[in-house]
Amino acid sequence: MQNVIALRPREYISQLGLPFFGIVLLAAVPLVAKDEYIRHLTLIGMLFGAQAMVSDFTIGFINISNFGFAAFFGLGAYTTGILTTQYGISPWVGLLAGMLMSGLLGVFTGVLTMRLRGLYVSIMAWFMALALQALTLVMVKVTRGAWGLFVNPMFTSESILPSFYTLLLITILIYIVIKTIIESRIGLAFRAIGMDVDYARASGVNPTRYKMVAFTLSCAFAGLLGAFYAHFIGILTPEVMGTQRTVEIIALNVIGGRGSVWGGLLAALLVIPLFEYLKSLMAIRLIIYGALLVTVMVFYPAGMAGLIWSAGDMLKRRKVE
Amino acid sequence: MDFPLIWNTLLVGLLRGGLYSLIAIGLSILLGVMSIISMMNGELYMIGAYIAYFSFTAFKMNPLAAIFMAAVGTFLVGVVIERGPFRYMRRRAGEDWYLNSFLLTVGLSFLLRNAAVLLWKPTYRGIRWYWGGTVTIFGSVGISVDRLVALLIAILSITALQLFLHNTNIGRAIRAVSQDERGAMLAGINIGNIFTLSFAIACMMGGIAGASMLSITPAFPYMGTAPNNYAWLVVMLAGLGNVSGAIVGGLIVGMVEAISFQLIGEGWPAVISAVILIIVLVVKPSGIFGSAVKGVWER
Repeated sequence: MQNVIALRPREYISQLGLPFFGIVLLAAVPLVAKDEYIRHLTLIGMLFGAQAMVSDFTIGFINISNFGFAAFFGLGAYTTGILTTQYGISPWVGLLAGMLMSGLLGVFTGVLTMRLRGLYVSIMAWFMALALQALTLVMVKVTRGAWGLFVNPMFTSESILPSFYTLLLITILIYIVIKTIIESRIGLAFRAIGMDVDYARASGVNPTRYKMVAFTLSCAFAGLLGAFYAHFIGILTPEVMGTQRTVEIIALNVIGGRGSVWGGLLAALLVIPLFEYLKSLMAIRLIIYGALLVTVMVFYPAGMAGLIWSAGDMLKRRKVE
Repeated sequence: MDFPLIWNTLLVGLLRGGLYSLIAIGLSILLGVMSIISMMNGELYMIGAYIAYFSFTAFKMNPLAAIFMAAVGTFLVGVVIERGPFRYMRRRAGEDWYLNSFLLTVGLSFLLRNAAVLLWKPTYRGIRWYWGGTVTIFGSVGISVDRLVALLIAILSITALQLFLHNTNIGRAIRAVSQDERGAMLAGINIGNIFTLSFAIACMMGGIAGASMLSITPAFPYMGTAPNNYAWLVVMLAGLGNVSGAIVGGLIVGMVEAISFQLIGEGWPAVISAVILIIVLVVKPSGIFGSAVKGVWER
């Protein structure tokens, strides 16, 4: 089994320690860049990238696109927001609570749809998202609706550094968990399901159970990131649950390369700072998202990770020769 | 609730139902014939409304001509989209065609919607009426002519499509492809042309819906999101890829939306849609009328 995996070019890249290198590079950003703005942009890029990584856990490995992703993110955010402001719970507990709530909603969605084909999960999650968004908008007493819910910051200091490193830690944690699962025997089953459900089933893999695990974990992580976002940004509106956010995350994931896990993070770190400059031109920014998504899907489905893999492949060939 | 209000609610439900049926039939065709899970039909609805708006106001066309222009325009948009990205992607279509085509339609819908924002700015472009005037029924209740005509157009388009699918050679070819792609190819059907035609028809259905509703819902870049969402509810309710089930499903969803909006208020139709979907998934995941075309889907 190990041999089959070792043949893949992506393994060569990860043996080079590129992920480790990337983490060190990310951790060094605040030390090198003294400008708060650059630090802020990197943090936002990392936040989006971590979401893209989490969404890749379903899109890239079990062929399911969670079309309500933003709602799981938003549910985590609102859970910690309401708990910390109204019940005075510590933000750290809030993070866990947000993760738990989104995970539970993930289990619920999964139980309803996992025995069916991928389309049902996408549509059900999408409808869940629309319902949740409508509920947050309507239940003004709890969520303050469109006025926005104010959330206490996690750290009292003025500096962005504690938040930055907390998020970096969360991102590394998510990466390690996803990577460990994928490299394990369970991961092999995931890949088999992603390639062909029927063959996977014929070889004794129970797709439903594995898909449940991946989907639930992905939802829980989305909630964790959402909870962090709530404390970082300080105000929540129902817009965080919108389909637009979901599409942005999916686009980042596809641009970065499906099935690579880190591709989405790379894409987000490159694309998000670029887009900050286009902030006044929201439409253009979203058009670029759409155009990039279409272009990558049509011409180069492997995305940025695919580019790097083929570069790694070339290096390897040269080395062998 | 007094009588005119009930009547009005039912009428709105009926009209919306017809509209959702039109879009849902487009979705069903895409799903049944080409196995595409489409998220962009709402945007075709938007484009149809814009074409009708400009034909009606800028070119001073006859209302029916404006709606016809919208149908032709969205048909052509469909041809371009199918011949362009979809055909290109189909060449390397593999096991994950469902996910790939889904993501492609998501990207296209994002692209089209925001291109509309850029081109026409997020302002409402509506007309007060196509024909104007009301017709009185039951002595006291009035219906505007526009609504009546919109409903009529929906019914006519659906009937025409059904006749086309069942009584012409090309229509039979489309159904043959939806039943068995390889078998249809062996029987000498040009699959490529059938795909383009079905895609364009699916887009046209959305365009007609948008154009005929212009005086009721004005043209707006984001107008396609809600109809797309309800049309998907119709498809899930009726059964995947089931064209005739979409008509009944559309009426049910339209009524439910109108009544829940009237009784409980804004925001709740989305919640009720989710609840309906949950019930469908628990009780009969193949949809109320699903089973006939399940083979295509399960392939």
